[in-house]
Amino acid sequence: MKMTAKQSMSGVVLPRTSTAYQEEVSAQAVAAPQGYWRAALPRYGVSVLLEKRAVAVNIGLSAALMAACVLYLSLGSVTLSPNAVVASLIGQGDSMTAFMVQQLRLPRLIAACFTGAAFALAGVLMQTLARNRLATPGIIGIDNGATAFAVASIVGVGVGIAPPAMALAGATTAAVLTFGLAAGSGTQGYRFIVAGIGVGAVFGAVTQLMLARVAIDTANAAYPWTVGSLNARPASAVQLLGIGLALGLVAALALARSLTLLRFKDATASGLGTSVKARRLQVLLLSVVLTALAVAVAGPVGLVALIGPEIARSLSSARHVPILAATLAGALVMVLADLAGRTLFAPIEIPVGIVTAVVGGPWLLWILMRPQRSRP
Amino acid sequence: MTSLPTLSTDALSMSYGQRQVIHELGVSLPSGQVTAIVGPNGCGKSTLLSGLARLHKPDCGAVLLNGHDIAQMPARQLATKLALLPQEAVAPEGLTVTELIRFGRQPHQGWLRQWSAEDQQVVHHALAAAGLEALSDRPLEALSGGQRQRAWIAMTIAQQTPLLLLDEPTSALDLGHQIEVFELVRDLACQGRTVVMVLHDLASACRYADHLIAMRDGQIVAQGAPAEVVTPALVRELYQVECTLLLDPDTGSPLLANVRRASQPA
Repeated sequence: MKMTAKQSMSGVVLPRTSTAYQEEVSAQAVAAPQGYWRAALPRYGVSVLLEKRAVAVNIGLSAALMAACVLYLSLGSVTLSPNAVVASLIGQGDSMTAFMVQQLRLPRLIAACFTGAAFALAGVLMQTLARNRLATPGIIGIDNGATAFAVASIVGVGVGIAPPAMALAGATTAAVLTFGLAAGSGTQGYRFIVAGIGVGAVFGAVTQLMLARVAIDTANAAYPWTVGSLNARPASAVQLLGIGLALGLVAALALARSLTLLRFKDATASGLGTSVKARRLQVLLLSVVLTALAVAVAGPVGLVALIGPEIARSLSSARHVPILAATLAGALVMVLADLAGRTLFAPIEIPVGIVTAVVGGPWLLWILMRPQRSRP
Repeated sequence: MTSLPTLSTDALSMSYGQRQVIHELGVSLPSGQVTAIVGPNGCGKSTLLSGLARLHKPDCGAVLLNGHDIAQMPARQLATKLALLPQEAVAPEGLTVTELIRFGRQPHQGWLRQWSAEDQQVVHHALAAAGLEALSDRPLEALSGGQRQRAWIAMTIAQQTPLLLLDEPTSALDLGHQIEVFELVRDLACQGRTVVMVLHDLASACRYADHLIAMRDGQIVAQGAPAEVVTPALVRELYQVECTLLLDPDTGSPLLANVRRASQPA
């Protein structure tokens, strides 16, 4: 008889009905898991958890973003005091200050916040999807695809379609190409990254070719697209980005529970009840649309998609994907980078894409060279 | 008590890449017992398990859970009936044992039901069942292989499913850690769960399984209680090796002795 091996050794939970459990635990108080606050309405079966660290990180990043915004509005060719800035924002102070703050600096600040947030949100989504912190939309060629199509519309290759629509078409084309070329190997592993770098290089070359073949004035008009700049961006594209960002953030937060599970292998996520294929497609679509809308405003400032999530992850716990923190950090990085580009070498202005490249390039090298960590 | 679930396949055919590795397989897994699926590399045992867990779509045929095709069930509902521990599972870095086990509650939770009294109770029980109370706040990276594997099994325990599928749960473990895992599996079966595991090692399968399914080339060549179905002829057919069979004097399960390469290729 095989009694020794097949005897029970300790009490094990049985699959029991929930009512049995409710009777057993009704008298017991429910403690929040370590590191969380819990709010509950037991009568309605409602219980919500808030991670303490996430709350602290998001409040901290919001405060830093606010401070950066006030600084952004203060500094420039004319330096204003933070008090004057705040006064003009709420409709007080003199008209000259009000004009400078509200007409000149504020629209550009909003563009910086929106683009930074959208790039970083798209970045953290794509990184989670690929389970690889290098796999941002910029690195896998989506920024360049969006740029190539947008430049095509400006230099007159395409017909008169608005840049955001063209950028969306380009981003989608690049995503389809990258995923198609990496087919079979999935989104994990280096084949996907290498395919993306190739696709990005091709679109980059196409952009340069188009610029080389048109009149110098047209090429100049399209130049900001190629480096990434927040100088005089179309207001309509910014509005569209604002709407897209708001909807995208809500969608990303709704997907948060699935995103947390997508960090595991597909088999684990699927075993825990996630419809992996459907979720991945939704996450990919969201990332591509957000990138396209942001490129239509600022051009390819893709490194924000790398830096923002990286800051958010270093501040957050490993329990969740830091969606909101990455979005806030992206906005913060973009505002500070454009502020630096605007003021450091004034009156010469350095495009924000170049500032982020100068900071982001070494950052990328550091990620590549430091020991591997599996925390997308 | 919930009634015991039944898991079976009906003319199931599955492919791996271009190659069809399982052909019209019909099998029924005994409820409340430990079933081990064994066979040589590439015999389709892992593919069968991934089919049972709905990780891979069948070419044709179906996997039936209580008579219903699992392909028609919503993902979350299936996850409350059937838990899966894949081979070489990896967790995001930095998770602690309790945090991993809490993920097992995922199919029972939602936006407005994130941490109930029941969740707390079940996670506590799962920790105890796997003997991990003392390690509950350790990061997974700081555990031994056997402890980590028990933590993963505890996650599937917290899923509270009547069915548990394990894909080679001991493949990377040394002997002591293997025994830790197998004894936990036996405990789960004693408590009324149906466990199906793919195993590499025929000897462990004989010792710890109630029911053995031996596969070769995508077909079942033998099934039944290990003491009844394991014969030198079956071992030769599966692995092309000769052996002498002994009975374990303590447990009565078959032991393979004097294993050697068959003189003539089968």
